[in-house]
Amino acid sequence: MLTLSARFILGGAFVYASFDKILHPAAFAEAVYNYQILPDGLINLTAIVLPCLELVLGIFLIINFWMPGTVVISNLLLMTFIGALLFNMARGLNINCGCFSTTAVESSMNILTVLRDTSFLAIAVYLLYAIFFSRK
Amino acid sequence: MAKSRSIRENNVKTGKVKYFQAVWQGGALLALSILLALSINQLRPDRLPLMGDWSFKAKLTTPDGDRLDISFEEAEKLFMKKSALFIDARSMDEYVKGHILGARSLSWHDVDRRFIEVTEDISPDTLIITYCEGATCELSCDLALFLLDMGFNNVRVLLDGWTLWTKGHLPVEKGNGVS
Repeated sequence: MLTLSARFILGGAFVYASFDKILHPAAFAEAVYNYQILPDGLINLTAIVLPCLELVLGIFLIINFWMPGTVVISNLLLMTFIGALLFNMARGLNINCGCFSTTAVESSMNILTVLRDTSFLAIAVYLLYAIFFSRK
Repeated sequence: MAKSRSIRENNVKTGKVKYFQAVWQGGALLALSILLALSINQLRPDRLPLMGDWSFKAKLTTPDGDRLDISFEEAEKLFMKKSALFIDARSMDEYVKGHILGARSLSWHDVDRRFIEVTEDISPDTLIITYCEGATCELSCDLALFLLDMGFNNVRVLLDGWTLWTKGHLPVEKGNGVS
């Protein structure tokens, strides 16, 4: 039951996060650019591929498909997101997170954004444990 | 004893299988996502080029092909004729330490919070010149693009403006008396 809930929460979050980015690729590319982490040549490619990766991960989590691979990639992706947020917060960059929306309506990233992503990571880590280490 | 050993061996075997699954499934999942993403991008009317031009020069060009940057000499003339409003895109701290005489402060980092307060009395046709400090400083460019988006249709950027202004010994002031 707990694993089912974890899959649905994380999967739902990934699917929800992907929609706005898929609908507005140029705005999401701008958000990726604002992070000032990737070289220019990878910005558009990331803006095109990342939302679809989130969508596929979300759907696979919900339908319980290819779970070992899905959960590993989910963990890596969330760790990357948190790393990028912390890195930019540490250097004082005040930008929109671009996590769930590409519009400027979304507030700038802050410690709450990191906590939100960390809670998703906690769920992903739980799923990792349930799949790889649980004896059930 | 033999049974528990068998269970342990089975667990190890299952674990190895799962690690192997994680590797090939992860790879396949990434490949599937890339394929899906490229297909969606190819089919959409507003498709993104795979390699975008994110250079500073490209940022200074509007979608209509107009250049946003203005030369120092031109900016100086407009300042002397009082026909342009200068907006400082640097932080408030830097603005207080010194800024172009009469310039307003609208730090790019505070733009969401202070935009209305700073611009409510500016007509959309006013010639606005944004500036910051440093040849690679993009704050003024980001601010100019934002102002264009907000409906100001006569916005230009003085690249490395603060440095050029002080080197040219043009009028400056300190404090935060103006916005």
